Amino acid sequence: MGGCDRRRREATPLSGFSAPFVFGRFQVPADNPLTEEAVELGRRLFYDPRLSATGTVSCSTCHIQRLAFTDGRTTSVGVSGKPLAFNSMSLANLMWGPQHFFWNGRAATLEEQALIPIQHADEMAQDLGRLVVELAADAIYRELFETAYGETSPAAIARALASFERTLISSNSRYDQFLRGEITLDAKEELGRKLFMAHPDVKVSLRGANCIDCHSQFLTGGFSARYDGFSNNGLDDEEHLQPGLQAVTGNPAHRGLFKVPSLRNIALTGPYMHDGRFTTLEEVLEHYDRGIRNSSTLSPLIAEADNRGAAAEGRISLHLTAGEKTAIIAFLHTLTDQDFVTAERFSDPFTGK
Amino acid sequence: MTKSTKLVFFSPYALLLLTMAACSDRQEGAGGAAPPVAAQPAAQRNGEESQAMVLLRGLPTLGTAHSVAIVELDPDAANFGAILQEVELPNLTLPMHHLYYSPTGRLYSTGLDPKCSLAEVGLSRNAEGTAVINGVKCLDTGGQQTGEDIIWHSVNGKEYMFVTFMGGTGEADGGSVGVFDPQSNALTKVIQARKSVVAKGAPYILYPHGISAYQDRLVVSSTIHPDLATGVGNGITIIDLNTLEPIQNIVVEDAKPVGFPSSPVEVLFVRPSIVPGAAPAVLVNTMFGFETWKIPYNGAEKSFGAPVKAYDGVTAGTGVPLEFYGNATELFISHALPGIVKRYQLSSLPDLVPSGADIKAEAGAHHMIFYTTASGRKVIAIQSNLLNLGNAADGDPTDVDFIAKVNDHSITVHDLESGERLARVSFKERYKKGVENIEALFGSGFVHHH
Repeated sequence: MGGCDRRRREATPLSGFSAPFVFGRFQVPADNPLTEEAVELGRRLFYDPRLSATGTVSCSTCHIQRLAFTDGRTTSVGVSGKPLAFNSMSLANLMWGPQHFFWNGRAATLEEQALIPIQHADEMAQDLGRLVVELAADAIYRELFETAYGETSPAAIARALASFERTLISSNSRYDQFLRGEITLDAKEELGRKLFMAHPDVKVSLRGANCIDCHSQFLTGGFSARYDGFSNNGLDDEEHLQPGLQAVTGNPAHRGLFKVPSLRNIALTGPYMHDGRFTTLEEVLEHYDRGIRNSSTLSPLIAEADNRGAAAEGRISLHLTAGEKTAIIAFLHTLTDQDFVTAERFSDPFTGK
Repeated sequence: MTKSTKLVFFSPYALLLLTMAACSDRQEGAGGAAPPVAAQPAAQRNGEESQAMVLLRGLPTLGTAHSVAIVELDPDAANFGAILQEVELPNLTLPMHHLYYSPTGRLYSTGLDPKCSLAEVGLSRNAEGTAVINGVKCLDTGGQQTGEDIIWHSVNGKEYMFVTFMGGTGEADGGSVGVFDPQSNALTKVIQARKSVVAKGAPYILYPHGISAYQDRLVVSSTIHPDLATGVGNGITIIDLNTLEPIQNIVVEDAKPVGFPSSPVEVLFVRPSIVPGAAPAVLVNTMFGFETWKIPYNGAEKSFGAPVKAYDGVTAGTGVPLEFYGNATELFISHALPGIVKRYQLSSLPDLVPSGADIKAEAGAHHMIFYTTASGRKVIAIQSNLLNLGNAADGDPTDVDFIAKVNDHSITVHDLESGERLARVSFKERYKKGVENIEALFGSGFVHHH
């Protein structure tokens, strides 16, 4: 493999990048700065089915741009044809939730996350060594890897995929436009916004849907401190609680806790919950309104949220009106970013779609 | 179950072929070499908590320009006091004045220059996540001048941005409250009632500066004409938010320790949303009266009681009380003379019950923010400058003897619990500028202000 010019062109710092200030501080790993070449490389890899053993499954198989990088399935299906354990998570604004990826938080970083599906027997079942050989035989990849990372390697594959995913920034939904002062929300959306933001407090006649208590980072990708952003949202009773975060931490207090997802583009990302058990947003609202199952690790913020007074009827319920639920769903639709799901820079570079 | 930290398992085949690239020299610069993919969780804290937005004032004899800047204020940082980014505003004769974040996270600044009495500051982030000041967009105020304070408040279910303009539209007895659409920034109404124009004895608005609201009542102070010579106020004005008309003046004045009218400056409507269960009342700091007054409010009857002096600076040896700031448990009041911040129990408001020793800043103690340092220490940063005017010692024509003594041009950082001073940066010494205002970079560095 010798004979090359040993002087390698330096990667180009990503230009024209701008992210909304209000999303907050983010940090890119010092050993994987955003560069033009890394992002371009990551985009190609993301859409390349050669990342799977069968050459039929790419990252984009389960992360489809028009669905805000989900796949519309209850749980995803990879090369084995077997339904996977989890619903496909949306990929957007991941820089603002830079740790504990996947529903149970099993990947510490985006770079670590990137290689797991590639190697998973049911997802892509690819051998990393074989993949490196295949990619190194491709002149375009060879050039991109060389410039971006100086080598074609599993580590470089991980970094490139992470770099592309970090650029998947969604920031032009109607709600973003509202935050920038460009539009106003209509009355129903505004009611939904207020309900979304409020924890019910009967003492001061404050009605609320209690969403913000868990979804405080609803515009971005999650949380950056410890295991903030994992919650038991009452999907199952004690007997049927799934391991969730406990599978990673071993802590019994983490049983049944799953990652609180971004709500950005939520109208496009159904089915919902870690196991895709709800098909529509209406079903999700019904769950939070009167379907909560009690258990030892249920979020206390959910357990005591009631617009008629806590435990007034001996069961957990928000007691929202039909109009309030409609308003909340109207607000959730303001989080849809059509620019994001149609942007060419995020699309398949092989087909332009 | 055990925690899975590294899931990069390579097959033997892969191990032989890990680096297939023909060129594997370590790369310098942006791409970097490629060490193993490590589990490297991002920082566990917000790295910009200790950064502050400041408005800087160019000092005419020192040849510097007004600006808006981001500075590092972690007292443990090697670059404490460093300006991380600065956007100069050379077209302005007078500086921008006060920064405020809106409820939706937009940054606004009032301004002293008639060319820019109110502005929105554009902010974004670059590829490193660093905050970037994109510029300052001056807004149409309908001719209102000398922007001071801003609040956002809902009136009958509709939210507005209210701004006090101490110079009004330029008259000797001017002063106005601008009502703006908080989304479009469009001017909706100018609330104005000049004493020389309204009927004798009718409510008026004069040199408004402080502003605070509760339910359908807005309170603004009557401070001083922007030229510091034409006139001085001695009361507050109550505005009915249902009609956006002034309905009452209340005088807060007693000793006149410097011979001027009391010059009420900042006001705080103590309300249950700040202090659960608190009896509503308006607190008023009088800049030249050296006092803090309490005016009880009866929400059921929509009536204000007689003012009661809650703090007497002449007796206590302090002067020029200015700002009210609060965190979750305390209320802080700055006193430009001798340059201290007094602290009170939030839960006892509207009564001023001390919660600790005074924090000793510098002459002109004024605005403040609260944050946590990288080491986890809770601190308060205090900007000490009353009016940012120059000093005769510099040959500065803007010098006013009284005021020059209360312009330290500095920010001091103190341990919040003990008050111990940890660091000080003099903007005059380091940058040849005064520091006009301070605000935490990301969101308000306080809980309660107005």
